[in-house]
Amino acid sequence: MERKWRKIWGLIGLLLLNFVNNVSSLSLTITKVECVYKIVRSEGDIVSGNFVVVDHHIFWSSDHPGIDFSIISPGGDILHNLKGTSGDKFSFKAPRSGLYQFCFHNPLSTPETIALYIHIGHIPNEHNLAKNEHVDPINVKIAELREALEAVTTEQKYLKARDAVHRRTNESTKKRVIGYTVGEYILLTIASVLQVVYIRRLFSKSVGYNRI
Amino acid sequence: MIKDSNVPMAMTFPPFLVVLLLALSTGPLCDAIWLNIPKTGTKCVSEEIHSNVVVLSDYVVVSVEDGQTATIAVKVTSPYGNNLHHRENVTYGRFAFTTEEAGNYLACFWSDNRTRGSGEVVVNIDWKTGIAAKDWESVARKEKLQGVELELRKLEGAVEAIHENLLYLKSREAEMRSTSETTNARVAWFSIMSLGICIVVSGLQVWYLKRFFQKKKLI
Repeated sequence: MERKWRKIWGLIGLLLLNFVNNVSSLSLTITKVECVYKIVRSEGDIVSGNFVVVDHHIFWSSDHPGIDFSIISPGGDILHNLKGTSGDKFSFKAPRSGLYQFCFHNPLSTPETIALYIHIGHIPNEHNLAKNEHVDPINVKIAELREALEAVTTEQKYLKARDAVHRRTNESTKKRVIGYTVGEYILLTIASVLQVVYIRRLFSKSVGYNRI
Repeated sequence: MIKDSNVPMAMTFPPFLVVLLLALSTGPLCDAIWLNIPKTGTKCVSEEIHSNVVVLSDYVVVSVEDGQTATIAVKVTSPYGNNLHHRENVTYGRFAFTTEEAGNYLACFWSDNRTRGSGEVVVNIDWKTGIAAKDWESVARKEKLQGVELELRKLEGAVEAIHENLLYLKSREAEMRSTSETTNARVAWFSIMSLGICIVVSGLQVWYLKRFFQKKKLI
């Protein structure tokens, strides 16, 4: 039974490693620590991606520490470590195949939403194949072309996420302008009415006494 | 148009899983991410998608405890709160739909209480939208493409998707620029109005108090 299960999971692992064009774009909410795992199929694949903290411009004060981000290879080495960011791009060549962890750490207690996009690009080359297999040069060129297009797509996802953040900031500014201005007018009017009422009260009683 | 997958619960678990994964591997070329579902609480992933986009997603529970695969529950909701996919006590599944409204689509996973063990459940989620969710097998069959032609057709699809994204970004930028300009004009007008209101209110105060003191014969 145990061996059967091991075989099943081995088969599943192999099938999962079957995919070549690796694309995923998602938003996650991070309360404390959040890790996303991705399988890199072969050594030498270029892992590229970006992440943007979606909430932050409106709600972060200037002394907010930011989000910490780190990439951990299957061997446990930390490949990339960023402290206190609100968004960044990353790109590296995978030193080995296996499960890579992309971890976020939120130092404060308010949950933050992060838009993450990771792309793993594989270009077939001669070194990875067995001796009797041969890579057709047109396939290599097509793979390079595909990777170039994926690089454009990656950049677009980053721009889209940044645009979403700026849009939130703008809409919040618009609402704040109206809200605070109307509030200011009302407060101004109330303050002046109260001033008048107070002066009236001052003069309606005590002067009468003074006159007497 | 929402397509629900009525995958029956497997009586004999392993063969179904293998068949499903074989089906997954011949689908569009996309990889998945693995997520940790905590023992209590839900883990949600979301994406901001515009309308009329195909979304295709498969999820498989990867962690095994005591020889049993843990089960999870899934719920997918549209930005207006409509329930698009809801399954309880499953180990794998798939959902596909075409987005009708633009907004934030949310897929939430939580661990079923029935699972024994103290560990976290690891789920493999394969989330594809738009061009990545396109079924190239049927296109290849319909137009009888293969090999290099099919690859080039896929590249053409990718370029079209990039073009559409660029147009979308351009339109969003134009909207944001108009919002910014409106806000700018409003700030200017409201400040001048604030100054005007200040002057008017103080003028009214002075006039009222003058009349008051004249009535009280203090002036």
